[in-house]
Formats: sequence, C-alpha cells, structure tokens
Amino acid sequence: MAAAAGFDFRRWRLVLLGGLLVGIVLFAAIFAPWVAPYSPFDLDVTQMLQGPSAAHWLGTDELGRDVLSRAIYAARISMQVALLAVSVGLVGGTLIGMTAAYFGGLVEQALMRAMDLLFSFPAILLAVVLMASLGTSVLNAMIAIGIVFIPGFSRLARASTQAVLRQQYIEAARSIGMSDARIIFREILPNIMAPLMVEAAVAFAYAVLLESALSFLGLGAQPPDPSWGNMLSTGRGFMAQAPWLSIVPGMAMFICVLGFNLLGDGLRDVTDPHMRE
Amino acid sequence: MDIRSRALENGRPTLSVRDLTVDFPKRSGSFRAVDGVSLDVWPGEIVGVIGESGSGKTMTALSTLRMLPKRAVVSGSIELGQRRILDLSPAEMRKLRGDRLSFIPQDAMRALNPTMRIGRQVGEPLVLHRNLSFKAAVSRAVDLLRAVHVREPERRVEDYPHGFSGGMQQRAMIAMGLALEPELIIADEPTTALDVTVQAQVLKLLKEIRDREKTSILFITHDLGVVSELCDWVYVMYRGKVVEQGSVERIFTEPREDYTKMLLASTPTLFPREAS
Amino acid sequence: MTDTVIQVAGVTKSFVRGVNAVDDVTLSVARGETLGIVGESGSGKSTLLRMILRLIRPSAGTITLDGRDVWNAHDRDLKAVRRQMQAVFQDPASSFNPRQSIGTILAAPLEVHGIGDRASRAKLIGETLERVGLPAATVSRFPHQLSGGQRQRVAIARAVIMRPAVVLADEPTSALDVSVQAQVLKLFREIKDELGLTSVFVSHNLAVIREVSDRVAVMRHGRLVEIGTAERVFNSPESDYTRALIDAVPDPFRRFRAPVELESGS
Repeated sequence: MAAAAGFDFRRWRLVLLGGLLVGIVLFAAIFAPWVAPYSPFDLDVTQMLQGPSAAHWLGTDELGRDVLSRAIYAARISMQVALLAVSVGLVGGTLIGMTAAYFGGLVEQALMRAMDLLFSFPAILLAVVLMASLGTSVLNAMIAIGIVFIPGFSRLARASTQAVLRQQYIEAARSIGMSDARIIFREILPNIMAPLMVEAAVAFAYAVLLESALSFLGLGAQPPDPSWGNMLSTGRGFMAQAPWLSIVPGMAMFICVLGFNLLGDGLRDVTDPHMRE
Repeated sequence: MDIRSRALENGRPTLSVRDLTVDFPKRSGSFRAVDGVSLDVWPGEIVGVIGESGSGKTMTALSTLRMLPKRAVVSGSIELGQRRILDLSPAEMRKLRGDRLSFIPQDAMRALNPTMRIGRQVGEPLVLHRNLSFKAAVSRAVDLLRAVHVREPERRVEDYPHGFSGGMQQRAMIAMGLALEPELIIADEPTTALDVTVQAQVLKLLKEIRDREKTSILFITHDLGVVSELCDWVYVMYRGKVVEQGSVERIFTEPREDYTKMLLASTPTLFPREAS
Repeated sequence: MTDTVIQVAGVTKSFVRGVNAVDDVTLSVARGETLGIVGESGSGKSTLLRMILRLIRPSAGTITLDGRDVWNAHDRDLKAVRRQMQAVFQDPASSFNPRQSIGTILAAPLEVHGIGDRASRAKLIGETLERVGLPAATVSRFPHQLSGGQRQRVAIARAVIMRPAVVLADEPTSALDVSVQAQVLKLFREIKDELGLTSVFVSHNLAVIREVSDRVAVMRHGRLVEIGTAERVFNSPESDYTRALIDAVPDPFRRFRAPVELESGS
C-alpha cells in the first residue's frame, strides 16, 4: 500500500522529526566517551565558571568541568533511567490492565481500584515517598518512576484489551480450545501494542522530566555523577554570573522531551487506522 | 398501464440523471465508482436501484444529494424538477436538501442525535426551511409521527432516540423526511438493519406514503426481495454501470442480462420451484 | 439414524435484568443432520449457540455432546469436546486476528490440540485451503488482503481442519453479497456432506435457513416457538408467529416464479 505508492512524507514527518531529535540524544548517550571532548569529572580550577569559548564550547562549571561533556554524559543517565522506568511501567501496567480486562469481575475491581489509588497521588510526591523508603540511588529512581507509570499504562491496556475482546477472533480462539495465556499473549497482546508504544514514547519524555526533578531535589543521580537535574540545581546558584550552567541542561532536556513527544504524536497518527485512506 | 407509461404521456420526470460519472482520484490513476449512469424517477413512482457492494448504487444516490466526499470528481447532469443539482451553490443545495429532496439512511440510530428529543428532531426541517418556532414544529412532529404509525405520538415526541426501537427510529427518520412534503425521497438500504417483521411494516408505510402523497422514491438496496415487493421500476447496477432496467415484473420474469439472471439464481427463497 | 449428537435440555440463560435471553429450551440434533435456528433480534438464537459452544455459561439446564456434559467436562473429556465441535462466525472482518497470516490462523487449532508436526500441519493446511477453493498462496496472506467471501472460506477451513464431528455456524453469510453468499452456502453444504458433519446453523434469514437445514427451530424472546422438518415448518407452520415471519419475508419468488435453473435446495 504505502510502500507500493512510494513513501508518504506527510504522514511520517512528525515521526521523522521526533526520531531525529531522539536520535541525537540517544547517539550522545550511547557514544558519550567518544563524543564528549572532555571527561565529565576532570576538575580544572584555573578554568572555573568560564563562558563559552573555543576550548569549552558551552563553558565550564564552578569546579572548572566542561559543561558540554557533562551534559552529554547526563544524557546517558537520563536515557538509562527513562528506559528502565518506562519498561517497568509498560510491562507492569500492561500485565495488570490485560489481566483486569480479560478476567473481569472481582479481579478487575481489585486491580483497577488499586490503580486508582496509585493514580491519585501526585506523581512527584509518589516518587519522593518511594525514594524515601527505597533509599536514594539511580536504580531506585528508575523503579520509583516506573511505578508512577504503572496506573496510566494499565488503564490504556485495559481499555485496549476490552476493545479486542469484543472482536470475534477471540470467540474463535476460545472455541478452538485455546488456553487463556495463549489468548492473552498471542491474540490480544499484538493487537494492543500500537497504542501502548505511543504511550511509551510520551512516558519516556515524562520520565526524563521526572528523573531531572528527582535529581534536582537531590534524590536521583548523586554528585559528582552528572545529570540534567543536578546540573540545573547547581546552575541555580550561579544564575547571574554563569547562566549557561542552567541553560545548557535546560536545552538538553527540552530537545529530548520535545523529541519523544513528537515521536509519540507522530506514531499515534501513523498507527491510527482513521488516518489511513 | 404502469405508472411509467402513464407518466410518459404527460409531463417530465421528478428526477433525471444523465451520464453520471463519479471518479475518486488515487495516487496511481483514479477509481471510477459510477460509470455513465442514466436513470429517471417519475412522479409517484418507486424506483429501485439494486446491486451488490461496489456496484456504485450508493454513490449514485449520494451524487443526487451532493453528499459525496469532497475529493470525488462528478460529471454528467442531475435534474430535480427544473433544478440542475450539480450546478447549485452549496447554500442552494442546503435549501433543497430536506425540503424538496429528503434522505433516509440505513442506520437511523446513527443519523439521529442522541441528545435531542425526537419531537424536535422530526420538526427540525420545519424550523430550518419554514421558519416555524420549535414549539409549532414539535406539534407538527406529533402529526408526522402519527402519519408513520407511531403509537401515542403526543407522548413519544418527548422521548430521546435511545428510547425508540430500531423500527421506531426508522419511522422517525421517515417522518422527518416527510416533514416538508418533498418531491423525492432517497432511501439507502433503510430496512437492511431491521428484523423482517419490522421491515415489512416499514415497506408498507413507504408504499402508503407514495399512494397518499404521490411522492417519488428512489430506493437503493441489495435485496431482490425488497425490490419485488416495493418497486415499480428497477435499475440493476454492476461495477458502476446500469446493466439492465425494466418494470419489476419484466426484470423478475424475463431477465435479459446474465448478471441479473445470476442475481436471481443466487437469491435464496422460501418458494423454490419444484425441480421437475 | 436417530443417533443424538447434541442434546440441549431445559437450558436457560438469564442476564442481570431478570429477562431470560434463553428460556427453558430443549432440543436435540441427530448425527449428520443440520438444524437451522431462525429468529429475529433478541430471540436468543445466538446466545443458545454460544452456550453449546461453551462460550456463555447457561444459568440452568444441561448440554451434552456425544453424551459428554459440555459444561462439566474436565481434562480429556473437555479436550475431546473442544476438538469435536468447531465454529464459523458471522463477521468476516473481525473473526480473524488482523496481525496473523492465514497460515498462522489455520495452524492454531492444530497446535492447540497437538496434532501433527510442522510439516504435516503445513500439508494439511494446504489441502484444506484447496478444498475450500483458495489458492495455496493464501497461507502467507493476511485477513485484510482477502475479500469477505474468501475470509468466510478461511473460516470454514479453520472449522473443519481438525475433522470435527460438529460445526456450529452463526450467521456465516449475513455480511456477504448474495452471489458470494450462494457460493459459500454451496461450499458449506458440500463439505458438510463430504465429512458427514452434524451442524447447527443460526440465521435471521428464513430463506437461507430453508436452503441449508434438514430441521428448523424457530425462536422468539428466548423461547422455542416450534421445531420440525424444514418442509413441515415452512409449508405448514404450527405457530402463528412462524406464519407471520414467513409472510413478512420479502421474497421475490412469492410474486414471481423462481427461474427454472434455481436449485431447490432440498
């Protein structure tokens, strides 16, 4: 169809633009040791709080470290946290949502009320509470953010599963004697992946913001490890003398979040059957 | 003498379609949904257009209503009375639709606004085209609903569409279509979603309306049975073309085209002719 | 020949609002016969079929297949019930998983019941496709690439690939054009005769029911109105409702004589 009639640029433009931005961030994260001009930890007391220059394109921080290099390494942490957090949310939420919709009745009531409860906490507060009980570390930040995502994914998975359950191929599967597990994983799951992937892209953007917020509050990545959140937190103290300390991590977050949101919106348009002819 | 030959002696058809062609541009070439269709509906005549999916029957009806998707390319001529439908401005077309020309769709439930009481909806054409107040329109709606045999119409005008059964909803759509005494009613599979007993009542109602109001009806369907019970004249469509036309008796007793014969032979029946 | 395959005894299904979707229905289907169940919307005909198929649990009554209680079967008995009884559904658009190829769809019942190995399954799928009049290349196609009639042929293939004893069909041709419907009904009858299938065929279309059925059950508001041979029910109906139903059918050959070349269907 689309392939036969040539590539439809208009339909894919958001995905391409979002993909480009996300690609830049991912590239920086994966190849940080090769891309970054300096180590993110090297101190140079002679070069404290220097503005952008030929040697340090985006300036240096209060300990004379290269801001560009730190921002690039920070992308690593953000991507790791977001990836694991979204995975926790996606897998947990999808299992809960599908189970609730498929079995219905009391199972559904219990699971979805638990999700309501979880959902009613402000996300950042929930993450802070979880971090307080799990201890502050990057791994715990990932898990905390992942748990914050579970209710959203579970609701989407439940609604999508309910739509699939109304299709006759589910009755057909039951009537040939297929087991519940096989129906759930072979018949339902592949048909609810598209909306979940869209949600995952958007959640990725949100995870980056949440991780930064936690780091900003000192609950995520611990210094000297660089993260956009703790860079921003440091930059706040030097707003007047060295604005680049705040602007650089801020812009990095902006590019990353924008990229994932565009990707999510684009995927929604591309996978939405109503948009096809 | 059938209606058609009587009409031919005096006057002109209510609806006259000539060489109607509808194309849908696609990335590679274009798709011709209707290919040079000509048909007439005479005053007081019920004309059936029968065909299977993809025959172009619905596209022909939608062309007459000017309700085709925007990208459709239409050529040919369609005349309703003295008006050349394809040359009318959108505003003129809006005035015509629901007034001189009304449409009864297949799915009444989706065509009715779920948040508006039946009385207001049935009376709405009178508000739009005759400047009646809503109150006057609702009281007229009571008469219209009575005319389509809705019981206790005074009470039912207060109901919302979901309180009506499928058959009742279709009656309400027909009442709405009748509100302004149109010259032509176009009905696209209006009984397909209904149970047979309800369908029989709706078909009877349409015949009654034709006899009483002398309204012309263009009836689009895939069901040969419905055509045999309702229509005076039949056009058989296949792949965008009219392959055969004739009086209902002629089409069913002496079909000429292979496609028509095949349709007749495919139709399951309760009255099989004993194989000898 | 009065060997009973399906026995439905006093079966009732009540939904929440106290109305019985199916109300105390008793009937049986003999080996090799086709029972047509006809009724309007809300008659309970599809609910009854789904209870036999073990998709909706009855509120009361028992359903047996070859003497095995369908709803109280366990383990091996349940497997046997599942294997013996297959279904063809109405909607050619939604009765297949859109993300699976026809090959995957047809292999599923064989895999679930552990029949054959990869090679023998592929061979069986090929033969079955050929039998329902589809080219072998259909295995690699996806449902949306097929027409409505082709999809119903695949649905029939899926139902018979395990050589079941019973096939239950719910309005299998209602969404099809008449010319396609005629072909699919013909295929259904041929395969049924070839495999000696017992079948239950649910439809709102009296003429279709007349064409495929040996015996006919008429349902209304969840109750069985009457049951008898197709000849008897359509030629001399006992109940006023059946009479009214027959009179309401817009049948072209009531007014005009059917063409000679039309098969009578009996």
